[in-house]
Amino acid sequence: MRIRSFDYWEAPSLDDALTELEISGADAKVIAGGTDLVLNMKKKKILPRRIISLHNLKELDFVRAQNSEIHIGALSRHADIADHPLLKTHLPILCEAVGLIGSWQIRNVGTIGGNICNASPAADSIPPLMALDAQLILASKTAEKKISLDSFFTGPGETVLENGQILKEIVIELPKQRSAGCYLKLRRRKAVDVSLAGVAFQAEAESDGTRLAKVAVALGSVAPTPIRVPDAEAVLTGLPIAEAMTKISDCARIAAQTASPIDDVRASASYRRTIVDVFLQQCAQKALGALKNGGGN
Amino acid sequence: MSELDIVGKSYPQIDGLQKAMGKTKFVTDLILPGMLYGRTLRSPYPHAKIKNIDTSRASALAGVKAVVTYADTPGIKFGPRSEDWTIFAADKARFHGDEVAAVAAIDEDTAEEALELIEVEYEALPFVTDPLEAMQPGAPLVHDDKPLNIAAEFSVEAGDVDRAFDDSHIIYEERYYTNQVYQAYMEPMAALADVDLSGRITLWTGTQIPNMMRMTYAKALGVSPDNIRVIVPDYGGAFGAKMENNIHLVAAILAQKARTPVKLVNTRYDDFIAGNPRVPMYIDIKLGATKEGVLTAKEVKVVGSAGARLVYSMVIVATACYRVDSLYRFKHVRSKGYTVYTHTVPTACFRGFGNSQMTFVLESALDMIADQLNIDPAEIRIKNGVGPNETSIHGWKINSSGLKDCVIQATQKVDWQKKRQKKETLKGIGLACCNHVSGNRPFAREFDGGAGIVRVGRDGRVTVYHGESDMGQGQKTTFAQIAAERLGVPLQMVHVADVDTDISPFGLGSFATRGTLMGGNGVLAAAEDAFRQLAEIAAEILEARVEDIECRQGKFFVDGSPERSLPFQEVAAQATFARHGAPVVGTGFYKPPTVLPDPETKYGNISPAYPFACQVAEVEVDPNTGQVTVTNFVAAHDVGRAINPMATEGQIRGGVAQGLGWTLMEDMAYENGKIINPDFVDYIVPSALDVPDIKPILVEPVEPNGPYGAKGIGEPALNPTMAAITNAIYNATGIRVKNLPVSPEKLLSALKQKEPAD
Amino acid sequence: MRVPINITVNGDEYHLEVKPNRVLLDVLREDLGLTGTKKGCGLGKCGACTILLDGRPVHSCLLLAAHADRREITTIEGIATEEPHPLQVAFVEKGAVQCGFCTPGMINAAKALLDNNPDPDEAEIKSAIAGNLCRCTGYNQIISAIQSCTPSKSDRRAAERGKSNE
Repeated sequence: MRIRSFDYWEAPSLDDALTELEISGADAKVIAGGTDLVLNMKKKKILPRRIISLHNLKELDFVRAQNSEIHIGALSRHADIADHPLLKTHLPILCEAVGLIGSWQIRNVGTIGGNICNASPAADSIPPLMALDAQLILASKTAEKKISLDSFFTGPGETVLENGQILKEIVIELPKQRSAGCYLKLRRRKAVDVSLAGVAFQAEAESDGTRLAKVAVALGSVAPTPIRVPDAEAVLTGLPIAEAMTKISDCARIAAQTASPIDDVRASASYRRTIVDVFLQQCAQKALGALKNGGGN
Repeated sequence: MSELDIVGKSYPQIDGLQKAMGKTKFVTDLILPGMLYGRTLRSPYPHAKIKNIDTSRASALAGVKAVVTYADTPGIKFGPRSEDWTIFAADKARFHGDEVAAVAAIDEDTAEEALELIEVEYEALPFVTDPLEAMQPGAPLVHDDKPLNIAAEFSVEAGDVDRAFDDSHIIYEERYYTNQVYQAYMEPMAALADVDLSGRITLWTGTQIPNMMRMTYAKALGVSPDNIRVIVPDYGGAFGAKMENNIHLVAAILAQKARTPVKLVNTRYDDFIAGNPRVPMYIDIKLGATKEGVLTAKEVKVVGSAGARLVYSMVIVATACYRVDSLYRFKHVRSKGYTVYTHTVPTACFRGFGNSQMTFVLESALDMIADQLNIDPAEIRIKNGVGPNETSIHGWKINSSGLKDCVIQATQKVDWQKKRQKKETLKGIGLACCNHVSGNRPFAREFDGGAGIVRVGRDGRVTVYHGESDMGQGQKTTFAQIAAERLGVPLQMVHVADVDTDISPFGLGSFATRGTLMGGNGVLAAAEDAFRQLAEIAAEILEARVEDIECRQGKFFVDGSPERSLPFQEVAAQATFARHGAPVVGTGFYKPPTVLPDPETKYGNISPAYPFACQVAEVEVDPNTGQVTVTNFVAAHDVGRAINPMATEGQIRGGVAQGLGWTLMEDMAYENGKIINPDFVDYIVPSALDVPDIKPILVEPVEPNGPYGAKGIGEPALNPTMAAITNAIYNATGIRVKNLPVSPEKLLSALKQKEPAD
Repeated sequence: MRVPINITVNGDEYHLEVKPNRVLLDVLREDLGLTGTKKGCGLGKCGACTILLDGRPVHSCLLLAAHADRREITTIEGIATEEPHPLQVAFVEKGAVQCGFCTPGMINAAKALLDNNPDPDEAEIKSAIAGNLCRCTGYNQIISAIQSCTPSKSDRRAAERGKSNE
């Protein structure tokens, strides 16, 4: 459990961090809360020679509404996100999911930026963010770039982040109409487990409240990266809510078929597929049921 | 019961506040001046020839003070009950995790870095991990001198089994599998070793058997047992695992070579792959009964994995074979047990010791029979259960038996009848019983029993010395309560010393649920002796006969005249003066009325007392995921007398939680000869959200052979839990779980298959 | 290289120079001799290393010591005043301490809960200690101990006792 020695530098500002990162190149790794990185260093999976710590960058620790968007700083901690009044009001699916990450101890240190950049296919924050069509602001010394979360992942643990780039902010457009969502996570016990299968479902009603304007289905732990499932979404989008509710099982079946889970010590691929179907049905029932009864956010 | 002042009361643990304030020094907290930190290099192969070990680069690393291998040991073959161990692998590594070399350095990081510099040339060999496969001709041998990898065989037979089966109305036959699980105590195994100028070794470690291990290690190190001193500090749990393990010997060898103290702490990974997990077993059972549900015959075959060397697995397999025979009034039994070497981590003791594995199987089988005969599972237990003052088929003399009471009280508490009648889909209720021992004569070898020393200081401070082991189960407080009761003093005046084999009695240790009864009786005898010595002084002062002297609540008085009293402290002082400073030291021992069983027939009373239990579980099965929730749990335990009810209840709850984990989520998984989940991410133990509010019921028939009537609780707390839960699952779904742990996927699949029929 | 850090531990200020690859758990135990915080797994999965960082429970085995700079740390040794903390007393009185190895981390998590939410319900208590494994007690008595330090549970229990005596 020895952590190989490294040079350490604490960034006083984002600008300084980006400058330093530019200079250090591939040798350097940034650290936010460290719950993933320190673990990976102890396990010898990652052996950085230099660490640039962002953990004191208060400027990246925020949740705010801006125009018709919610902006979340990359260094916001899971515990703060799970409890944030703005998010609970407008994007409760995110609170629900982030509240299931690890233990309370992990959530007090781990950051959403870290969760996203660690890019585990099992990350809990990502499926709901995908279902919310989240966008990421990537910053480097020279530029800022906005990309969709959907395009961020290239493989398990791999992202499009380039050397010199940091995830700065997550931007989510507020739903225009009433919306409702749900996140379910398959675990081996009733608390504190990695996700064996994660299902996020988010739906938004049209302005007249009768049809579904938007439907989003995102899955975690059942593919090399978290994924959206447009084919499943298409089954319900545009339908009157009551009718959509009769087609939930079709939607779920397609999602399960689209998933490409693996067999491992945690669960078999076939069980994961089965659960995707089950959970998506449950999630959709809950969300659509809420919308139908005039609920939602 | 009102006759007792201290025993039977729920005093807080006497060392509890120290622990809650973080002041207790556990093994892993100990530091000695000049101490080095050790780390062990382990085989990455399940089976391999060791062709060469080059430690030169490791030795050259700055901060490294010793690097050792087999060549640094006396090269003696030894073992707790066998001779198939070596300290470090000699020519072959026999399991993934086998100790190959070790390093002592100025800090842990340096020690770990040094491990990476040790070059070992291995030649990988074929391996086998399943015991049934290992028994096949042609399977790779773990030890060349054990054909078919059979380390030990056990047989017992009584009555006329075949006739009895012929006469049965119903016979149930099935194969079950209980998997390998890890004790998951919160403090990993650790040892601090120091060697003095004469070569005498002192070992500080969390061990359940400070003396028995000295005997084993003396052989391994080629010294006399008294050249090893074992001191047992507070330690963080054991549940059976902390008996002999190479970690202690590696620490000693390092300390010998480095000539300074060495502390060796297992990483959690080390502990998973080279600890002492439970013996996994294939169990075939054939159980017969009459139409009325009276058990006729039982035949079992047990195949258990020893792992790569024998710790106690052969005794565990034997126990699995025949301990349950004294739970019910069996007259015809036949058991055959095979302990089989495999290229896996050596398996050993874990709460229940084979009886838990077999209890799961028997109680499942009995549940099936009850179901087929349409007899209430509770009723069938009562019908067959061994009662008080009975001798079982193997000659076990059961004095007290609260089994019937346990069944009655547990089922009453949970509204059993009503719930069994009102059948709700996917909700179920199930029960299971168990028996156990309070000591195991054949396991103890040279003698069984307990002893104590009770020292009374000049100011009345009482110090109790015992030879067993408090692994967190509350033994210190139990012994203090017993001593305080006998002496007649408030509990705060009594202290319990850490076990130090230089000073403490030669206790056999804490296993077989023997601590309270054996150790407790030893302490009681010593307290009796100390009391007598003090009573003589009190008698002189009070001008009375010794026989008429009493002491209660810290005051000596003459029976019948409590108004003339002497404080205990005063008598202690006078006693010390009268002896010119020689302390008042009471010593005593307990000789249990047990025998070594006949080597052929296994007949013979092996324990002075036998605890019983009945546990009831309520479950809900999720039809969409196959996951099981235990929604309610009642555990009724015949403990003879609870010395400390709150502590006893704590043990019950802890045991049930472990049983719940074993049933629903715990499994050491193997792939390519290696444990692939050697961490708490993928070896899942219950969290606070997984364990329901467990309702313990203490049944106290007052055991004549127990100290103040006490038996024990440690292992019975777990034994029935697995079957209680799977019997509840059967009640909920009609699906019989035959392999632990329950697989939600398999349950889901089985539920789906049943759907059309319902 | 060494990183200078200023940390306050249990009210005492320390100025240390630590190698950046060290975690707070080891600095507390080895450098400051505060062995009350335990190492159960070293990988942030058992909770035995739980300390309070600015009042929030964290796994000290996963926290770089450098990240503790300018923060306030509370370990088990620091929660008592002249008297043991009520949680410490409650844990002992309710039999929530068996081997005691999980206890410091468990009490810290419980303290953080009650400091923020003085009257949690049972579900909230269980969630708060979900990251603290205990292998001895089965958790029931730990939960009772925590409940006994909340206003409503102690009152409720007294009320129940009163009822059963009628």
